Amino acid sequence: MGELIAFLVRHSKWFVFVILTVTSLTLLFNGDPYQQHVYLTSAGRLASSAYKGANNVTSYFFLHDINEELNARNAALQAEIIRLNERLEILAEQGYKDTLTVSDSVPHFEFIVAHVINNSVARPYNYLTINKGSEDGIRPELGVVDRNGVVGIVSNVGAHSARVISLLNPHFRLSCKIKGSDYFGSLVWDGGAPDEAMLEELPRHTRYKVGDTIVTSGYSAVFPAGLPVGVVLDNADDSSQNFFKLRVHLLTDFTTLSNVQIVINNQAEQLNALRAGEENDSKKNPFGY
Amino acid sequence: MTRFAITYALAFILLIPAQAIIFNHMIIAGVAVPLLFLALIIRMPVTLGTNWSMILGFLAGLLLDIFCDTPGLNALCCTILAFVRKPIFHLYVSTDEDLASKAPSSKSMGMPVYLKYMLTMVTVYTLLLFTIQGFQLENFRLWIVRVIASTLYTFVGLWIFDSFASRRRDAS
Repeated sequence: MGELIAFLVRHSKWFVFVILTVTSLTLLFNGDPYQQHVYLTSAGRLASSAYKGANNVTSYFFLHDINEELNARNAALQAEIIRLNERLEILAEQGYKDTLTVSDSVPHFEFIVAHVINNSVARPYNYLTINKGSEDGIRPELGVVDRNGVVGIVSNVGAHSARVISLLNPHFRLSCKIKGSDYFGSLVWDGGAPDEAMLEELPRHTRYKVGDTIVTSGYSAVFPAGLPVGVVLDNADDSSQNFFKLRVHLLTDFTTLSNVQIVINNQAEQLNALRAGEENDSKKNPFGY
Repeated sequence: MTRFAITYALAFILLIPAQAIIFNHMIIAGVAVPLLFLALIIRMPVTLGTNWSMILGFLAGLLLDIFCDTPGLNALCCTILAFVRKPIFHLYVSTDEDLASKAPSSKSMGMPVYLKYMLTMVTVYTLLLFTIQGFQLENFRLWIVRVIASTLYTFVGLWIFDSFASRRRDAS
């Protein structure tokens, strides 16, 4: 027994080394970002309060550019409202208005405004932290957009902060289509430049032009359909398989991200309930009819 | 020793948030990152046991990981670096010198020896970090550029850090 203890003490550094290494490796290879405990992420209280303090200083740096972009977007939205109002008036004159009413009981999508307090673009898996959390109505798996396009999806939520999986993270795949057509594919970042991503799994017969806009498909409950994501740069591979991929220039500037909106889908619960129902049905009859 | 423990605890509390909030954003050309928090491991007293330095290194890495959303990455690299710290130190300094409770610095080791020791430590760390971080990315050229650029950037940063630290000691 004494010899055993002496042995353990003599080689204790190897045991400590192995224990610490195995702990680190376990953390490192738990690849699912949704399963990490909130205290081990930047949404935890410690990290988020430090980032909030720093953000109070740095959030002023890009205000000029942000203002310019907001003004441009405001003008575009105003033009859109005028156009839609004119259309409504024309329809009213034609006597269609009564038959074309849209139910205005519950808005389909709502937005919560938040500030980005931490952001990275240079790592293989990038995340950002926002200053709103569960007490502000944020839940995991909500979509995040900014004035230019899609930003990411919420993964871990603290009381007053949340961590978002950036679009610049291969864990996040976004269903997208080419605007004006029904060809859709999966947008994923390949670890390269922070303003480029790949639109994969497009059918070979897809027609596109360089400069076509890529928008969200709306096939998931997370993002509304038609949100801008990027612009087609070129064809990324020449292989003769059934699918091909396009290189896409992302419209969101991840290097100067500051204000974002979190998308709340009021119909998500219904959609998820329907989906859960489908799964239950298939479980009840595992062999089908 | 107590005074040193207080200084070290303060450095621990200040350097890691500073690394996350300031240094991680001082990236040059998208490849070079200054990893100045490595001073916590490089400047640990030589008399500190390997077990303690590994535990302190692991905690430093884990804390940085929490800030950076890289669970386990820096913790693993810091543990390994703390483990090989003494062998690297003895590459440049023979064991029989009197080093009781001395932290490695240009003052205690002499500038050329300290710089050699520091450069080796930083190189080991960047090699570990970028290999583990990017092993699924098969871009070898980017990997080598990241390692060299970050090593040099961190080396210069820690050199400046050392000159400030020694000047402060002189004044006090």
